[in-house]
Amino acid sequence: MTGPPDFELPPSPASPGARSTPGPVRSGGTWIRVARRIFTWHAWSHVVYGVIAVIVGSLALYELGVLGVYRLSYALLILPGILNGFYTSLELVAVYIPLGFGVGFVVGWARTTQSLVLRGLGSAYVDFFRSMPPLALIFFASLIGAVALKDTSLDPYTQHNITLWLGVIALGLHTGGYQAEIIRAGILSVPAGQTEAADALGISRLRSMFTVTLPQAFRVSLPPLANEFSSVIKDSSYLFIIGWFELAGAGYSYASESYRYHYAEAALVTWFEVALFFFVLTYIVTRTLRGIEDAFRVPGLEAATL
Amino acid sequence: MTALQLRGIKKSFGKTVVLRGVDLDIHGGEVLCITGPSGSGKSTLLRCTNLLITPDAGEIFLDSVRVNQRSVRPEWVRQKIGMVFQSFNLFTHLSARKNVMLALRHSRKVSRSEAEQKAVYELNRVGLADRMDSYPAQLSGGQQQRVAIARALAMDPEVMLFDEPTSALDAESTHEVLAVMTRLAREGMTMAVVTHEIGFARAVAHQIAFFDNGLIIEQGTPADIFEHPQQERTRSFIQKILR
Repeated sequence: MTGPPDFELPPSPASPGARSTPGPVRSGGTWIRVARRIFTWHAWSHVVYGVIAVIVGSLALYELGVLGVYRLSYALLILPGILNGFYTSLELVAVYIPLGFGVGFVVGWARTTQSLVLRGLGSAYVDFFRSMPPLALIFFASLIGAVALKDTSLDPYTQHNITLWLGVIALGLHTGGYQAEIIRAGILSVPAGQTEAADALGISRLRSMFTVTLPQAFRVSLPPLANEFSSVIKDSSYLFIIGWFELAGAGYSYASESYRYHYAEAALVTWFEVALFFFVLTYIVTRTLRGIEDAFRVPGLEAATL
Repeated sequence: MTALQLRGIKKSFGKTVVLRGVDLDIHGGEVLCITGPSGSGKSTLLRCTNLLITPDAGEIFLDSVRVNQRSVRPEWVRQKIGMVFQSFNLFTHLSARKNVMLALRHSRKVSRSEAEQKAVYELNRVGLADRMDSYPAQLSGGQQQRVAIARALAMDPEVMLFDEPTSALDAESTHEVLAVMTRLAREGMTMAVVTHEIGFARAVAHQIAFFDNGLIIEQGTPADIFEHPQQERTRSFIQKILR
């Protein structure tokens, strides 16, 4: 070699290998972005299309005489009661899904730590709650509550209320077991190099967990979480057995009353309506998660595409 | 002035002995290139220096402060020693700008606007003014590595460690990254570089350390090592990589 090679910075840093498309547009705060994604016409148009299709379809059937005037009037007659059940279901879901997420987050994280004790407790939790049928768990929680409260000075109304909510908590703990595994997989999917880089920059382990690992784990976890949510929403119908008058419960009541109207189709109409509202309930939740997914989408972390 | 002193560093992983008591001095404002065959412990030594790996025995002094002792927080050491990895390790979910800002915000606790200013300055320095809002996946390897260098520089480190910074790059990207490193060296940054880039080592390094089997078997100026290697092992390695 003659003389040292020339290491001057090339004038243009633009490299032909790199994609030049800019990242998604990011104006406004994080939560504003999420809200914008969820409450756009684009997102809700699907619901609107669904409802329009059902109305138009029913009208067409009515005109054709397949669905007689009695059936349609029965569907409208039970609508307030079904809606009542729908709101109750919505309320229950809004309690036990976030509860399950909180529990799942803590347990899932515990299972990825170095501590043998935390990992053991986490595994025990997941093993127990994943192997218990939700129905048994709900009965168990509310009956234990009933027995424990029997001799207290609380009035029967309060006692009953507590047993009802214990059932809801049981369902939250059940889904928590599944969500813990999703969160754990998400955390483990983040390459070790990411934590190492954060370490090398002098960021503490706790901070790098919240600023580096979890933001990436969360993006990977969203699609399976949406899957688990949509599955456990339908489990809300188990709560009917301990006395919650929710969507499926409303369905049972109206379907069993159909004998008064002397035609079997009344039950069919009832369950059709219940199914429609379950669809709406699930759609609201999964659509919200899709909105969050879209709002946080980042090139290179696209496991979440579609 | 000695910026970094390593004394008798030993490390084993299970039964594999990786470092057998390494002594090394890096002087302020100087560039030390560490070279040698794969698996000889070069990367482990670098990782011991900023305590990503805790050495089994030995002492590490940063500006004559012993850093591998209980009373010194590893975070404090790492804020003073920047590190660049072979595989870049940029934070995938953050833009180039946010990558540089993150450590400033969460390690040095700098305000957002100050961190932003600093990030813009450092990214300009590595020639990426027009790619600040790109995500790592949208950048070429060379660009990613330059962001990684900017990220480490933003902490105003006293020493920079480079662990085979160009091994994962094509020829063009390698040139880009080496250009940035060369300029950094000329600006007087203290650097320890594990590399096989002989051209870079010859042109920029003040000292070359030749590593083999967990020990530095030969150390000297580039002229010493490349023109008149004393050890047989060094000679055969140099001949192989120069061919």
